[in-house]
Amino acid sequence: MNPVNSGGAWTAVYLGLVLAPLVVLFVGDPVPPGGFWWDLAIALGFAGLAMMSVQFILTARFKRATAPFGIDVIYYFHRYIAGMAFAIVLAHPAIILTANPDLVFYLNPLEAPWFMTVGVLSIVALTLVIVTSYWRGALGISYESWRVIHTGLAVAAVLLALLHVQGVGFYVAEPWKRGLWTVITLSWIGVIGWIRIVKPWRLLRRPYEVAEVRQERGDAWTLALAPVGHGGFVFQPGQFVWLTLRHSPFAMREHPFSVSSSPELAPGRIELTIKELGDFTRTIGATAAGDRAYVDGPYGAFSIDRHPARGYVFLAGGIGIAPVMSMLRALADRGDARPHVLFHAYRRWDRLTFREALEALGTRLDLRIVYVLEEPPDGWDGERGRITADLLARYLPEDRAEREYFVCGPEPMIDATERALRDNGVPMARVRSELFNLV
Amino acid sequence: MTRRTMARLLALLSGLIVLAVAVVFAWLQNR
Repeated sequence: MNPVNSGGAWTAVYLGLVLAPLVVLFVGDPVPPGGFWWDLAIALGFAGLAMMSVQFILTARFKRATAPFGIDVIYYFHRYIAGMAFAIVLAHPAIILTANPDLVFYLNPLEAPWFMTVGVLSIVALTLVIVTSYWRGALGISYESWRVIHTGLAVAAVLLALLHVQGVGFYVAEPWKRGLWTVITLSWIGVIGWIRIVKPWRLLRRPYEVAEVRQERGDAWTLALAPVGHGGFVFQPGQFVWLTLRHSPFAMREHPFSVSSSPELAPGRIELTIKELGDFTRTIGATAAGDRAYVDGPYGAFSIDRHPARGYVFLAGGIGIAPVMSMLRALADRGDARPHVLFHAYRRWDRLTFREALEALGTRLDLRIVYVLEEPPDGWDGERGRITADLLARYLPEDRAEREYFVCGPEPMIDATERALRDNGVPMARVRSELFNLV
Repeated sequence: MTRRTMARLLALLSGLIVLAVAVVFAWLQNR
């Protein structure tokens, strides 16, 4: 199946999972109507719970399901749909209380039955999930703490909601429906078990060792990792992995990073280039050869191997050069003779990550490199500022509609670059982007 | 259309479909 069809099929599976509880409401013994608003609120409650549960499946990193889209965009979908699910869940009590104001005592744990209190607590947990995710930076929560908080609160929200459903007993009274809900609950617990136990256990059996730590320009480090006692994995240039360093895979201390090396490197060996941007990345320099590492991957659809073309145009901002480097190195190692262009936007020339390595690649490939510096040094006669439509117009090849484009960098840079490409007549279907900010 | 726009649209569409099915359910229950 091609990626588009397969993407459509997986979207249908998603909708099927989310709508299943609503379909189950329709079948079986008829339930006396409670009025339009009452029944709408009940339906929204079930739908909201289903959407919350499926959120766990979306981020479980099932390779086959995420491959057609690229897992980075699944995380974006997870984030967008979370807002919709939250609104649907909030509508459930809001409609009930608006239509029946005398039920407001349900909000008071001293007067309400236990199953109403767990329902309220579920919404409190869900609200905290949303607040800590959308405003993690503003709240000063570290990535590691956030992951623990996020998982804990999300699991609590769904468990409490399931208790609420069973306690209230609407539409679930028939034995087979109770059985079905038990199966749904167990499947959901199974997914959690897969993520937190089976996956880490599999990673534990395939350890890696830090073979080399190299300092790069621009506060970046390259970690070379070698598999210990196994053959590693096959990846496509441009893909990324989740890295756990100096901790057990069970510790939930993993971070996503792009592979910057060529798949044609020594078998199983991978290199990750990491810029010092946060608490974890600032400790990378302290990593020593021989340190233990665990690598979950490869992930992502951002690869030349998925998109054959007459030539490629790469547009990198800052450390977004890392996956582009992997693709350029792969092209060079494969003796590629097609024409390629690289736009590399960076702040300063003396801090430009991979400066020397890029110059060397320029001699092995038909590669035109356009550096765009925000703070160029004195006497700089190259491009300055940012990647704009005017700048692209000066360098894009005549056959621009037949090239494939790879954009990687901070999100505002990706947005601006995509617009600039569109303004130059590049079909958006030929533009691939990699989103680094998964949180 | 970029993949992010597609993800946004699919999320919106999924939410609207869920809402529509919930409305249909409530209407069928009470007609």
